[in-house]
Amino acid sequence: MGNNSLFLIIKRMRTPMFVLVITFAISILGMVMIPGMDENGKPYHLSFFDAFYFVSYMATTIGFGESPYDFTYPQKLWVGFCIYLTVIGWFYAIGSIITLVQDKVLAAQIALAQFQRKIRKMDEPFIIFVGYNSMTRQIIDRLTHDGIRSVVIEKNESKIKELTLEDYAIEVPALAGDIRDPKIFKIAGIHKQNCRAVVSLFNDDVMNLHVALSAKLMNKHVMVVVEATQDEYGQNLKTIGADVVENPFKIVAKRIYLSLTSPSLLMIEQWLYGDPLVLRKKDRLPKKGKYIVCGYGRMGTALEVGLRRAGIDYVFIEASPEKAAKARSGEKVMVGDADDKKILLKADVQEATCIIAATKDDLLNLSIIMAAKRINPDIYTIARENHIADTVVFKAAKIDRVIMIETLMINKTYNVLARPLADRFIRLMAYRGESWGKKVVELMKEHINNNPETLETVIDVNHAYALVNHLSETGEEVPYSVLYRRRDDWRKENPLLILYIRRDDEEILLPDPSLPIKIGDEVLFAGTKDAFEDVEYIMENIYELYYVMQGKECELSLACKLTLDF
Amino acid sequence: MNLEKVIAGFFIILALTMNFGFFYGDPTVLEQHNRYELFAAIIVNLIATIYKLGDKTQLGAVLLATSLVADIQLIGAASIWALGEYVTGMNVETVTAIISFSGGALLANITSVVLFTGDVLKSKR
Repeated sequence: MGNNSLFLIIKRMRTPMFVLVITFAISILGMVMIPGMDENGKPYHLSFFDAFYFVSYMATTIGFGESPYDFTYPQKLWVGFCIYLTVIGWFYAIGSIITLVQDKVLAAQIALAQFQRKIRKMDEPFIIFVGYNSMTRQIIDRLTHDGIRSVVIEKNESKIKELTLEDYAIEVPALAGDIRDPKIFKIAGIHKQNCRAVVSLFNDDVMNLHVALSAKLMNKHVMVVVEATQDEYGQNLKTIGADVVENPFKIVAKRIYLSLTSPSLLMIEQWLYGDPLVLRKKDRLPKKGKYIVCGYGRMGTALEVGLRRAGIDYVFIEASPEKAAKARSGEKVMVGDADDKKILLKADVQEATCIIAATKDDLLNLSIIMAAKRINPDIYTIARENHIADTVVFKAAKIDRVIMIETLMINKTYNVLARPLADRFIRLMAYRGESWGKKVVELMKEHINNNPETLETVIDVNHAYALVNHLSETGEEVPYSVLYRRRDDWRKENPLLILYIRRDDEEILLPDPSLPIKIGDEVLFAGTKDAFEDVEYIMENIYELYYVMQGKECELSLACKLTLDF
Repeated sequence: MNLEKVIAGFFIILALTMNFGFFYGDPTVLEQHNRYELFAAIIVNLIATIYKLGDKTQLGAVLLATSLVADIQLIGAASIWALGEYVTGMNVETVTAIISFSGGALLANITSVVLFTGDVLKSKR
């Protein structure tokens, strides 16, 4: 497979080489057969060696003169003919080589061979991204900062050129190819042990389904992360075994629901997605009054569930009668253009407390918001922003809350890939309710600060060498509170909070610090950067661990320990 | 019928016959071996090699190898001839070296032809 380019070159060179051999043969033969004259005027014949030597430098236009003796006119006549014959043959061969170098097929073959070599050499875990767009670009960027490698499969070659211009900290190999060709996945290294996940975030659900299906068939152990905005595709994807099916509209609906019912949980969720741990003005939705939702598409239907569960009075405005007809009986769906003043008035916009512009057209969303604000300046406005490029306009429109679908997907996918524990924690806490959320937020603000960071780690040899050694050698129980202790004074505690521990199938939320550490635990910490540094030192370094456990320095110096060991 | 196969077969067999024509005769007497025949054998062998290039099959690889051996042997024979004529002078030793080199090439040519016919016989069409 890797030799394809070589074979291509050789096969293409057949004709030029053939021409070269034939022209040389004719010229040499003629030179040998035509009689010449030596300096004494005696007739002689060039030997094959003489002829070969002469033709070689004539054909390459080096030209050392006539040898061994000056040529006679019959010889010169033949040489005149040979010059054109061999030079043309020679130039033809050189021309063919140059054309070959510029050949697209060959270039693609060489690029493929290079890509394969890069994949073969890749030892670290990596993630395959299908499709390169503004979303995957940012996810790759964030993953490379965390040291996770990415591989891109993209159909459009100009996008691959764009990728190579991007200045990623680690190289991101990219392959030009259509995902409908199953070979592409194989080339991208889906069979490799260290292939962690396949990510497909197309707007088109069919494409995502296709990717998930082929990826799962090629390697059933690989994690598949796909976007699905329609329920039927989401179901299909779950049945074929896609591990994570992301629906941005469901996340939006959930957030709207949370901000209406349990703002603390919303706060934690947004914080785990990378926002500060505060409840801003834009997160406080009006809890009473009527909501107008413009657009009864994928987002509209998702919002319908969230609003109904929160017990809010709402009405939909949808431009397409077909989509409106899909509504269940009893739902209030009006047909008409949502930026039309008459329709808005009909939907009682002057009385409504909140308007959500949820169509897939950014400009339409903006004009809906503008129209509604003109009638009712106090209305709370929520707009859906589909493309990151439109951010400036949305900012200028002074909308209370802008929902960026692409940013949501970026954060969600990044969490799934790089912070699986945080992602799981978000899922689990939804069942706990507002009072629990309030407690967590208070704990964090009290113990740590207003904006803690998170750390995900595993109690294993790679991440906690000293701790694992200690646990397996002594067998004694060590509680998690040991990790809270400070390296400079073991009696003091670091600002830390363990949010979540995954222990085999057991999942512990907000564990008590007296819980004994078990090898293999996956832990999600909240705390400060300095505290995390201490935690990592304590877990990794035997002296630090000894100090925080015993309250005194380890008596043996490092040098002693080394000499004792040997 | 595949035209490419015809051309390839033609040159492979012509390489053998040409080489045999040169090789046949008393190995110590240079007069029994025609220099033009050696030249023709070299050219035909080179062309046969070119036609075997770029074949990705196992058989293609072996055919190419035999052809390259024949080329090296024949060019070796021609080089010894030139060396004998201009540098060391012709003697029986040089002449036998030239002829035995072409004899080695002949063996490679025979292998080539056997493999080629074997492949043809094996195929059902």
